[in-house]
Amino acid sequence: MTRRSLIALVALASVPAFAATSLEQAQKRLHAAIDEVLAIADKATSREALVERIGPVLDKHISFPVMTRRAIGPGWRTFNQDQQKQAITLFSKLIIRSYSNKFTIGEHPEIKYQSAAQPDVGRVEVTTTTVYQGNRYAVVYRLEEAEAWRTCDVVIEGVSMVANYRSQLDPVFKRGGAAAVLSSLEQSAARPQ
Amino acid sequence: MNSLLRLALVAALPLLSQCTSTARKASSTAPTIATSKPAKAAKKTAAPATKAEPMDDLDEYAVVEINDPLEKLNRGTFWLNDKLYLVIFRPLSKGYETITPKRLRKGIYNAFENVKFPVRLVNSLLQGKVKGAGLQTEKFLVDTVAGLGGMIRVSNKIESLSSLPDEDTGKTFARWGMGHGAYIVLPFLGPCSVRDSVGLAGDYALNPVNWGYFWGGEHDWTMIPPYANTLRALPGQLGTYDDAKRDAIDPYISIRAAYVQFREEAVKK
Repeated sequence: MTRRSLIALVALASVPAFAATSLEQAQKRLHAAIDEVLAIADKATSREALVERIGPVLDKHISFPVMTRRAIGPGWRTFNQDQQKQAITLFSKLIIRSYSNKFTIGEHPEIKYQSAAQPDVGRVEVTTTTVYQGNRYAVVYRLEEAEAWRTCDVVIEGVSMVANYRSQLDPVFKRGGAAAVLSSLEQSAARPQ
Repeated sequence: MNSLLRLALVAALPLLSQCTSTARKASSTAPTIATSKPAKAAKKTAAPATKAEPMDDLDEYAVVEINDPLEKLNRGTFWLNDKLYLVIFRPLSKGYETITPKRLRKGIYNAFENVKFPVRLVNSLLQGKVKGAGLQTEKFLVDTVAGLGGMIRVSNKIESLSSLPDEDTGKTFARWGMGHGAYIVLPFLGPCSVRDSVGLAGDYALNPVNWGYFWGGEHDWTMIPPYANTLRALPGQLGTYDDAKRDAIDPYISIRAAYVQFREEAVKK
């Protein structure tokens, strides 16, 4: 066997192992993120406290720039750097609040990890069943690897958070461009809860 | 009411067939109803992109679309429903939550879901899911006998029964190849499509809580089960509505997109 074919063989053999490692790493990261969030939610005494404490944790585990970019879609290219920064800040605020609102103080969700798949290199989808307030929900976490594995979308019972915002922001962008998108994000983020 | 329902069905049928053919036509060229799956993943199996522009992660998600020719009217009904929820249904729901302990509420909710067994059974069979129909029957028997008439979901502890998909007539129509047709916001009931509204009529007829009303004559008591059925579902439904609306940029589109994605996912199961 030549040296080249030996290298090729080793490389080929290591592909499944690499995939398995990615799956494991992503799942491990998601477990850690969920545990961290649940620990905060369990200790929270008010919704305001929950939002305040959960923000930095979500910031660590969720890729807000990726989510914002995809929620805005191709129109993102027309945003200047300042507008992009502002959009990410506002969108993060909205997502953190939206995620925190899913918790009812004093209720502990039970998460059952069902399966994990790697639809593409650097992408992992973890399917879970969440039992919350006596109801069962299928929740899929979409993770992508940049510097670390981060969640880029959460799909609850088939409803993707990013696709939902993308559908709302698309007509806004078509109507008034980046300025209209920023204004609508500002209005939503400022809406009293 | 029977004749009213029949009239509504007859009136909706031409709309349905028209919309179905529109949906089929659209699906033969490009999927009109985008799923929540990233567009890139879908592209691997779909026809090659005809766009000249290269794909990047900005095109990752498609806009969730559904034929909405009645958007102006729908937005009006959406606004009206929002006010109705605020003025009538939310106080009713709050009152129900106040006078009924949480565990009892859950029990009542479960019992009404359990009684919907004919809806699940008939639609499993209509979709050709014979094994599914058997499991639905098993679930119903287990919950009815061991779960105090369905108040306790004993079946949740049995793996084969714990995550059986819900079945309904709209889903059956979808499995038979019918498209959504036009999107409609129904007064009181909220987001729906022509296909699913006809399905709703089927579910209504198959649900035993409405049978007294259909066949029990003009007695007042026949209204109690349907009203109770509405009341027990209110807290959950209003919660879902609030969730979808609260952080929305355009609540109408947010709920429409969530409805389309949710139904697409339900049909896959």
